[in-house]
Amino acid sequence: MSLLDVEDLEAGYGDIKVLSEINLRVEDGEYVTIVGPNGAGKSTVMKAIVGLADCFSGTITLRGTNIAGMPPEEVVYEGIGYVPQSNNIFPTLSVEENLRIGAYVLETVPEERKQAVYDRFPVLADRTDEEAGSLSGGQQQMLAMGCALMLDPDVLLLDEPSAGLAPDLVDDMFDRVDRINDAGTTVLMVEQNAKEALRRCDRGYVIANGENRFEDDGEVLLNDEEVRRQFLGG
Amino acid sequence: MGLLQNIIFGVVTGSYIAIAAIGFTLIYGIVNMINFAYGEYLTLGAFIGFFAATTFPIPLPVAALVAMAGGGLASIVLARGFFTPINQTGPVPLLLTSIGLGIALRNAIRLVAGREARYYDTETTTFRFDAIPDLSVGSVDLLGGFFVTSEQLIVVASAVTVFVAIHGLLTRTDVGIAMRAMGDDENLARVRGIDTQLIRDSVWVLAGVLAGLSGVLLAIQTNVNATTGFSQILQILSAAILGGAGSPYGAILGAYLIGIVLALSTAFLPSGMSGLSSAVAFAILIIVLLVKPSGIAGTEVREA
Repeated sequence: MSLLDVEDLEAGYGDIKVLSEINLRVEDGEYVTIVGPNGAGKSTVMKAIVGLADCFSGTITLRGTNIAGMPPEEVVYEGIGYVPQSNNIFPTLSVEENLRIGAYVLETVPEERKQAVYDRFPVLADRTDEEAGSLSGGQQQMLAMGCALMLDPDVLLLDEPSAGLAPDLVDDMFDRVDRINDAGTTVLMVEQNAKEALRRCDRGYVIANGENRFEDDGEVLLNDEEVRRQFLGG
Repeated sequence: MGLLQNIIFGVVTGSYIAIAAIGFTLIYGIVNMINFAYGEYLTLGAFIGFFAATTFPIPLPVAALVAMAGGGLASIVLARGFFTPINQTGPVPLLLTSIGLGIALRNAIRLVAGREARYYDTETTTFRFDAIPDLSVGSVDLLGGFFVTSEQLIVVASAVTVFVAIHGLLTRTDVGIAMRAMGDDENLARVRGIDTQLIRDSVWVLAGVLAGLSGVLLAIQTNVNATTGFSQILQILSAAILGGAGSPYGAILGAYLIGIVLALSTAFLPSGMSGLSSAVAFAILIIVLLVKPSGIAGTEVREA
């Protein structure tokens, strides 16, 4: 049994169907990426898993529990950490308060995990009392990841972590994701920057028009003629 | 009367407006609605306090606590009955519902309690400070002797206590931080595991408690009748918007600004124009919003 199993997923928003048939699995400890053109439904896969999009049919199974259709405030208890692409921090809350909300579902804020976040992202440790909205884009992205890591999730969902970052920060962000995965956290990532994402992941999925197109090891997809021609710009 | 005396009047008015404006702005920022029936919550609180204090003779502070509890209960019951069911329809249907609810409540209160004004039975001590010299500039006396009553001191002290308590709640407690988080971004709040309906309910109770207290303080200063709260709703709304809608700290600033401007314009406008004093408050509101559309303390205007 995989850690996360998505089968025959049909999902969207209200009357609008975005995903017509998505299948994917994530094994314990893996680093999996989803790439594909704009409008392919990559972010909707994430939103369907965490309960922000509507699931019309199919199943989403996390460690044997079907979480399809579960509202987001309950999904968080199942061990999924989610970092949305944008609006992923509370701008008028301080850095420290954002991390506290990251651990909202726990009885107490786990101090050692908070310290681990500050160790991982030292720039946040220098600005604990500042409003999160005053952080730079890269720092906000780190804070958003830190919030998701406060629950020590079974799987971390990252929706385009490199979006909106200055080019020289993109590599740094991918390095950080590598290190999070190396430390044992399972990662499922959606990325616009397909080549870099495939280079770094264990396995990748290419989706288009709400359907699976290709699935293989990252390196294999990267060198596949068909994938290169259709999705990676040659 | 000199300037100093009128500023004291303004601070007292600003104090009970501030308490109510905090509740009003929390509803705006977190439930995302303008609650036009909120003035009626003050009236309810004032009547509950009055009847509690007179029916079973209990001391005024206890009656005020009863009014706060009653205000909180009324607020959550009304919200559950009228606002929560249509929460998804957006701000405009909620606003219209609240206007209708306000009219209904106002008339229901008038039916039950009658038209006449009632007065809290309070013992007032007046502290006079007559030794302060006049400092006249034209027709305006910039200093002058002044007095404060024990009631006025109670109003201001209550307000300061509320400010400290609200600040503590919003910055030190999980539920308070969750309220602010929800004001920022409701979807992200849900992703982080915040039960948004529970937080909305907490905000309704809190806003009702504040309205109850504000109503009692207002009634101690003046009297209580069926339109006691309704007569304040525009000032409360202006204070909240002036301060930056959704910001409790801004609402406090806005309330004192409105209170002082109202008092000064009543005192110093030519006698034929004193009816315009409330218009002056709104003129200030318009000017501030023209200069800084997000209000004094506002950083952003929440998307509707």
